[in-house]
Amino acid sequence: MSDNLARTEPVPFAPFIGEGISISLAVPMTRYSLRARQAQALETLLGVKVPKKIGATEEGIACLGPDEWLLRAPAGYNMVSGAGLPVSLVDISERAICLVVEGPRSAEILRTRCPLDLDKFATGRATRTIFETVEIILLRLGEDRFHVEVWRSFAPWLWASLTTAAHH
Amino acid sequence: MILIHCPYCDEQRPEIEFAYAGQAHIARPANPDSYSDEEWERFLFFRANPRGRHHERWRHTHGCGRFFNAVRDTVTDKFETTYKAGEPRK
Repeated sequence: MSDNLARTEPVPFAPFIGEGISISLAVPMTRYSLRARQAQALETLLGVKVPKKIGATEEGIACLGPDEWLLRAPAGYNMVSGAGLPVSLVDISERAICLVVEGPRSAEILRTRCPLDLDKFATGRATRTIFETVEIILLRLGEDRFHVEVWRSFAPWLWASLTTAAHH
Repeated sequence: MILIHCPYCDEQRPEIEFAYAGQAHIARPANPDSYSDEEWERFLFFRANPRGRHHERWRHTHGCGRFFNAVRDTVTDKFETTYKAGEPRK
């Protein structure tokens, strides 16, 4: 992880504040893509419970697919070594940035270009989905609080798209 | 927008999360060495093009990432059912 002072980000550091909505860049974090045929192998290795149902999250780990998990932790997280075990642990910290979409209008603004049924997307869930043409990982942290994980190169477009929707 | 049921996520999800991946249940040759040119041609290029019920592979690309099979009516574009890859033909 590089020094935070030297970081450049694809979106403005200053949050966008609109009526009933704020869109801001989350602090840098550590992300790992965890792959394993058996969730049990990961649980033994990491010493934590891993969600089994696709879309569920537990202690910073989101189940994205039948053999795929996303681990998000504060920057500087020390990952154990999976050497010799049938698991794959890949550091993807800098692949994506996270936008925090917060406020009573957050669901309405995400709905402008994301066709996912947010009424059925309860707090605590996470999923990979699509925002118009850009792939995102959407996490619902609260009724009015979402995290949108997006690949760095798509971030300026997503920022423009979200802030434009928030203006209307 | 069509909603497609992903058998892995066990949810109805919007169509744009999915990608079509051709006809389903095409078995790879068990003995590729003994295949003639005509048999290879048939395996690689010949596909059904029914009017009505069609067995297809789909992938939940922008979701769980899994391939699964679906039965879709090519006239009405309605999905009859979807099921996990490896399960018998429905």
